[in-house]
Formats: sequence, C-alpha cells, structure tokens
Amino acid sequence: MLLKNVQEWTLLLIIFGLIAAIGNWVGYSVFPISSLPGMTVLIVICLAGLILQHVLPVNIPSVAYIGIIGILVSMPVMPGSEYIVKWTENINILALATPILAYAGIAIGRSWTDFVKLGWRSVVVAMFVMVGTFLGSALIAEVVLRMQNLI
Amino acid sequence: MTELKGIWKDWRLHLLVLVIVAFTEWIGVFQFTVGPGVILLLPMLYAMLIGLGLFFTPVIKKAQSLNAEPLIVLGVTLLIAKIGVIIGPSLPKLIEAGPALLLQEFGNLGTIFIALPIAVLLGLKRESIGMTHSVAREPNVGLIVDKYGFNSPEGRGVMAIYIFGTVFGAVFMGVISGFLATITPLHPLSFAMASGIGSGSMMAAASGSLVAAFPAFSDDIIAFAGASNLLSLSTGLYMSIFIGLPLTEKMYQLMTRKKASHSVEKGA
Repeated sequence: MLLKNVQEWTLLLIIFGLIAAIGNWVGYSVFPISSLPGMTVLIVICLAGLILQHVLPVNIPSVAYIGIIGILVSMPVMPGSEYIVKWTENINILALATPILAYAGIAIGRSWTDFVKLGWRSVVVAMFVMVGTFLGSALIAEVVLRMQNLI
Repeated sequence: MTELKGIWKDWRLHLLVLVIVAFTEWIGVFQFTVGPGVILLLPMLYAMLIGLGLFFTPVIKKAQSLNAEPLIVLGVTLLIAKIGVIIGPSLPKLIEAGPALLLQEFGNLGTIFIALPIAVLLGLKRESIGMTHSVAREPNVGLIVDKYGFNSPEGRGVMAIYIFGTVFGAVFMGVISGFLATITPLHPLSFAMASGIGSGSMMAAASGSLVAAFPAFSDDIIAFAGASNLLSLSTGLYMSIFIGLPLTEKMYQLMTRKKASHSVEKGA
C-alpha cells in the first residue's frame, strides 16, 4: 500500500517538477538542466516527509515534516548543505506557485456554482476579512520589528 | 491523500497545465500604478483564472477537475520544501525575529475589528459571526460547523467566506499585498509575516507579489512568510477557539444590543 503510494507520489511530483522547470525556464531563464539537481532535492524532501507522515503514528500533517526536513538539510551546520542551497536556489519559488494555481483553477471550477450563489454582501465582507487579517498582522509585526530595531 | 490511482496518466490535464504555465510565464509580471500604490499581476494569477475559465469549456471534464486536487496538495509540498531550504540558512535571523513572528499571529484577529462592524452594518445577522471570526480556512469551518451546525446562520457565514477564499483568495491576496505594501509606510518584511495566514496558495500569492515588488528582500520575505504560515497553521485553530470566536460573539452582542435598544427608543 505504502509502496504503491510512494510510486504514485513520485510520478506526480516528477510531472509537477517538469512543468515547474519549464515555467522556470520560460519565466526566469533557468535552463531545465540547471533546475534538475534542485528539483530532485525538493522532490526527495517531499517524499521523505510524505513517507514519514505515513509511517509515524502521530497525526501531524506531512507539510510540517517537509518544512522541517527542508530546514534541517539546508542549515549551515549540516554537511553538504551548501550544495542543497546552491542547487535549490535555481528553482524560483514563483515558478513553483504558477502550476499550483493552474491546477487550483481547474479544480475550483466545481466550486463556481456555490460562488455565484454568494450575495454581494458576503463578497464585501470576505474582502474585509482578508484585508483585516493581513493588515492586523502587518501592523503588529511592524511595531515589534521596530522595537527590536530589526527593520 | 490515500487514494491516488493513475492520476499521472491524465496526460490531458498535465499537458494543459504545462501549456498554461508556459504561456503565463511567457507573459510575465504585469504591473500598473494606482495613485501612489502598485498593483502587480503575477503569472500565477493568470494561470488560476485561465484554469478556471477552461473548466467551463469541453477541454476540461469532471475527471480532470477531480484529478487536479491531489496535484495542488503535492505542488504545495514542493513549495513548502523550497521554503524550508530558504529558511535553513536564515534560521538565526528568523529566531531573532521570533517575537514579531509570534505576536503578529494575534493580528489575525484584525478581521474581527474591521470586518465584523461592516458585516453588521450591512445588515447581516448571526452569519457575521461565522464570517468574521477568522479567515475561514478548513480548520475554522470545522470549528464553526462543530459548534453551531452546518445549517446554522453561523455555518452558512463561514462557508460563504470559505468559498470566496477558495475561489478568489489567492488572486485577491496577490493584488492587495503588493498594493498595500507600496501605499503604506509599513516595511515589506512586516507584510511578509502577514502573508502567512494559513493557506498555502494565498501565502504564495501574497508573498509572491512582495517578492516581485521588493526583489532585494526576496529570501527574507519567503522565509518570514513561510514561517508565519507554518505558525498560523499550527496555532490558528486554538487562536479561534480561545480568543477569536469568544471575542466575535462578545463584539456582536455589543454591536447588536446598541442597535436593538436604539430601535426600541425610536419605536417608543
């Protein structure tokens, strides 16, 4: 079961990685061959996190493992981290985000009927919910960062 | 994410996404000024809108739309891995900014002070509690449905914001983050921390606009946004249970009591 999943994850991550590498080439002029080592590293980190989530009995989302593994392998004290940092630097983060949102656009089409049923008041409130959260956090961050003289 | 069967074989879907990505990255970032601010339109925003548009053409069938979902999840894991390897080298800096990172989580309550009065003013009743107690991602939908039920006004409210966020959250955050960061005197790094509101795609869009607007801070922006998003994911629900929701209830009662007594006076 796990093996089957790992197979499927690997294939899908490779497909996603190839699409992102093409985007990285068209949008940020990184030739696909130069993206290869970095993309491989990222895919391996993802697989490690996905497998950990599967085999460990605790209920922590896989993205938490993946984030932590990514941090650990790129910390300067970790031997070889300079390669990981150098290779993954070639992968522009925006090149990863574009295919995510392309897939997301195709997937959320199914929510569209729900969306059009929302009244205009809901839409207005939704926008203020997001602006409120965003500005609230930015204001507090600004005050604390200034008190610490970090910005 | 346990049942993935042959989604990699859906070449129609992957080819389509490849074409969308190549086309939108080729267009590149488009920006224009509005007064003193800058609005940035990133390739990922066009990509989402094109994907959404294609859903209504025969090119996309229901199977593609369903198969696209696991790829969002896996794409987000790649994004998180990338954020991880950016955070690693700048970990000392992140720890230094730890207090700001932790405290700005309370800023997520800002929605209650800004959006709740507007919801009440627009005449919404108890829907407004579900709508404005948080930014309404999955854990919060769960919380509200658990507490009030799916068919309650509160449940309908939280679903409305959830649906808006799902469909337009990333586009909206991408547009306003660059705009607010350029018209307000606040530092881009403060907005970077604010970008982590607990949704991978909204964080990517908001921080992506910041990176495009302030390329000099690129790595710090991603590290701060990523760390803040991780914090929001892990603390967000408890923040809502212990502070957000009780506070929204209290403020709602205060606001509607005033209104109610006012109308009684008028009636008398």
